[in-house]
Amino acid sequence: MTTPGGVEISLQNLSREFTEGTRQHRVLDRVSAEFRRGETVAIRGRSGSGKSTLLNLVGGIDAPDDGQVIVAGIDITQLSERDRTLFRRRHIGFVYQAFNLVPTLTVADNIRLVLELNEVPAPQIAPRIEMLLEAVGLSDRDGSYPDVLSGGEQQRVAIARALSHRPAVLLADEPTGNLDDASAEDVLRLLDTLVRQAGGTMLVATHSARVASFCDRVLELHNGKFTSTPGEPAAT
Amino acid sequence: MIPVVYRANFSYLVRHPWQLSLSLLGISIGVAVIVAVDLANDSARKAFLLSMDAVTGEATHQVIGGPRGIEETLYTRLRVEHGIRSLAPVVEGNVTVDDVSLQVLGVDLFAEQEMRSFTRRSTVAENDDATRSLFRTMLVEPGAVMMSVATADTLGIAVGERFDISAAGRRHGALLAGLFDADSSQGLDNLVTTDIANAQAWLDAPGRLSRIDVRIADGDIAYREKLESVLPADTTLLAAAGRTRTTAEMSKAFMTNLTAMSLLALLVGLFLIYNSVSFSVLQRRRLIGILRALGMTRRQTFTLILTESAGIGLVAATAGVVAGVWLGEQLLGLVAQSINDFYFRVSVTDISISTASIGKGVAAGVGASLFAAAVPAIEAASYQPRLAMVRSVLEQHSRRLLPVVALTGAGTIVVAVCVLALSGRSLVAGLAAVFMLILGFALCVPLVVKMSTALLAPFAGLAGGVWARLAVSEIGASLSRTGVAIVALAVAVSATIGVSVMVDSFRLSVGDWLQQTLQADVYAGVRRGDMDRDLIADFARTPGVEAISTSRRAWLETRDGRTQILAIRMAPGSYAGTEVLDAEPEDVWPSFDRDDVVLVSEPYAYRNGVGPGDDVRLRTRTGDELFRVAATYQSYDLNASALLMSRATYDRHFDDDGIDSIGLYIADDADVDDVIAELESISAGRQDLLINSNVRIRELSLEIFDRTFVITDVLYWLAIGVAFIGILSAMLALQLERARDLAVLRALGMTPGQLSRMITLQTSVIGLLSGISAIPLGLVMAYVLIEVINRRAFGWQIDMAIAPGILVSAVVFAVAAALLAGLYPAWRAAQSQPALAMREE
Repeated sequence: MTTPGGVEISLQNLSREFTEGTRQHRVLDRVSAEFRRGETVAIRGRSGSGKSTLLNLVGGIDAPDDGQVIVAGIDITQLSERDRTLFRRRHIGFVYQAFNLVPTLTVADNIRLVLELNEVPAPQIAPRIEMLLEAVGLSDRDGSYPDVLSGGEQQRVAIARALSHRPAVLLADEPTGNLDDASAEDVLRLLDTLVRQAGGTMLVATHSARVASFCDRVLELHNGKFTSTPGEPAAT
Repeated sequence: MIPVVYRANFSYLVRHPWQLSLSLLGISIGVAVIVAVDLANDSARKAFLLSMDAVTGEATHQVIGGPRGIEETLYTRLRVEHGIRSLAPVVEGNVTVDDVSLQVLGVDLFAEQEMRSFTRRSTVAENDDATRSLFRTMLVEPGAVMMSVATADTLGIAVGERFDISAAGRRHGALLAGLFDADSSQGLDNLVTTDIANAQAWLDAPGRLSRIDVRIADGDIAYREKLESVLPADTTLLAAAGRTRTTAEMSKAFMTNLTAMSLLALLVGLFLIYNSVSFSVLQRRRLIGILRALGMTRRQTFTLILTESAGIGLVAATAGVVAGVWLGEQLLGLVAQSINDFYFRVSVTDISISTASIGKGVAAGVGASLFAAAVPAIEAASYQPRLAMVRSVLEQHSRRLLPVVALTGAGTIVVAVCVLALSGRSLVAGLAAVFMLILGFALCVPLVVKMSTALLAPFAGLAGGVWARLAVSEIGASLSRTGVAIVALAVAVSATIGVSVMVDSFRLSVGDWLQQTLQADVYAGVRRGDMDRDLIADFARTPGVEAISTSRRAWLETRDGRTQILAIRMAPGSYAGTEVLDAEPEDVWPSFDRDDVVLVSEPYAYRNGVGPGDDVRLRTRTGDELFRVAATYQSYDLNASALLMSRATYDRHFDDDGIDSIGLYIADDADVDDVIAELESISAGRQDLLINSNVRIRELSLEIFDRTFVITDVLYWLAIGVAFIGILSAMLALQLERARDLAVLRALGMTPGQLSRMITLQTSVIGLLSGISAIPLGLVMAYVLIEVINRRAFGWQIDMAIAPGILVSAVVFAVAAALLAGLYPAWRAAQSQPALAMREE
């Protein structure tokens, strides 16, 4: 287990609204929080509470209407779309509920894609893929296509892909939502182990108490605001 | 069926307007081309028949003579000596007024009331007195003519105005005495009527008639037999309707070929419809799965999709018919031009809209939609409700079907080859085989694409990285979406290769043929009519002219059709101009002048199944005589009925001393341009002649050749337009289908530029695969067009020549078309929102 270090992510008065027909819906309402390096945090809340929106803003996928998102010392709200993309490519890893592997690429190529995008030197790519697949227990499936893998296996590939470029932050959105209990347990343990080994910061959006129990602290999001104290470890 | 089910589906279509629009556009263009070609062909044919009917009037039969017509005394003898009434003499020919070509009809106004009303009635002759006055003017005034209001407007001539008419290279004064009665002037555009004496003078046919029109009461066999019994040996009595039909038949092969080209556009459109319907089924798999889970039966699912396709087909076909009428108007000029260049005079300016053509268009649109929708409808209906929701099932299913589809394609090709081998000389069967070949090849293309992308992907990966590999492998992996688009583009491009190679080979063959045929250095002739004999003698004496050949093109008509005789007096250098195909020239030429032999053109030999040693029966001045076929000679004359005869033989058998054109052989030390200038100065004021060097004649001939294929170009560009829409539609649908994957790539850090480049590479590879797959099909099409279709339609033998440039430009074109079609999808892909990846389905 890595000891939490300095502040890795800082959210300051973050607001985000969406228009639904003629009505404005404020999903996040002046949210502030800080997450330390190496910390794993669960963001809990009901459907529509703003969990995914928060992850999108941290990952630079979306831009807030108001407020700041500072990741690794960079205020990503000030970046252009292209720079946000490059930032995301280098510093963020994603794990999705629906795995989102590229169906026409093999397991190895799904990982290779991210490494090539990050311009990892060619000689280093193959050994790193081998190492990652070994870490997730899929060394023998490197040439398989995603559609022949089970849900648990697909999510393990997604985790390997998300960690392949050693991101500072891993964002996981309901990572076990599509898995049975046994597979979910396996995936959570793997995720926890690998993230802690890598020393990265992980935010997990979930409504599952079991998922939250793997994290250092839990934040509850309700009506666009945190109900537990951000920045302080919360009891699970 | 519950109406709300239809509403759910309809709502899907409305929410994807571009997809719906592209489907509608694809079907519409296909239908429009079919309707347009049908209307243009039909309008040209109708205009010709209408004009023939109008000119024929009440005549049921016509007495036809030899190349120079009939002696006018025959008419008097028939009337006076044999007491045969209901006859009207006619002198027919062509004149020009201010470069507008007109048909002149010289009639005997006294005999006209038996046959035609329009030659005696005028819009300005409101009463009997006026009619009598017009009648007098037509008889008394030199050069008095009548014409339709439209023709007078075109020429800018008013009633009472004098103007010049040019006939056989000479100018004559004419007077517009009256206009045809509006009620009876239909089909009479570009026609002038005049007194028979005027026409004889203008057309240099003193004492001759072109024909005698006869009206025989229905079933009056005795009357007909009596007439036939008194006709001289060099004349024939032919049914007027049969004569019209025979002439119209001449252009049948041309029109059939145009129809085939129009069907090609629909065929390409068919792939597009199939594409659109399968996409919409693919994208609604979730909706269909839900509906099936809720209890909708397979039959209901099938009916739902077919009903929707029929609706789309109907809307598109309606739009296609409207567009087709407009396009038909544009094509009409091109069709009429080609018919005028090669077959017969037709004057047509307005499209005539027939319900049959519209019916064909609507049936083609709706039928094509239903046909194209049947496969996806069966597929959708066949899934279990749970499976219908799984995306990969459809792709797996289409992957499993690939070998079956390819085998079916191979089988279709085999059937096509059998049809070609066993269908004799049938043009329609030949064209059907071409379509089967296209279909067969098309069915093999997806398997080729699958294998090619599997082979190419690793190379792409090595060259451009994993994103390039992803771009290429995605094509094969999404074959149910990309395959049909590739097939559509491949078919359209193969048509361009096939037609281009055919036209190119044809042009080369015609060029070589012209080079060989035009042995004389200079050619002089009149557009229509006879050359002045004295002028020919003067030309022969011109310094620098070493020798002269003469030629006469004459038509002989029988019940079986028209035969063209080319009577040639060869100069020593002329013999090399005729390529004898199936005999030794040294065996042929000595008997050519001496004996009653003919050479048959290659199309004539093919059509009539005759060769050296056979006999050809011709109606001469002494009745039917047999002429031995000495050999076959090469000819690309469109009138597939030409016989070559020596002038000596012609003079022995026909009363015609006319000469249409002459070839002049210039001494080596003389300058051709100087001689032409001298010839022009000699002929000035005596007869307007066309005097050109052989080089210029060759250029002019090839210009006409190129003009003939303009319509072919227009039709295959339309087919390519449909294929272009197919690629655009496929790429957009693919992008919609892959929206989530694209969003994931964006979320993983791919920039909009990289995503856009990936899509661009994908469309380039699609274009490349289409272009490459088009080459074998294009070459086979060219071979079949040259060896089967042209042979069956026109009897020509063309040497196939493949210019590498055609193949390269076809591939480049396919890539460019795909790239262009991919621009918008690439831009759209670049806009994909990475947030979409975070959302759960």
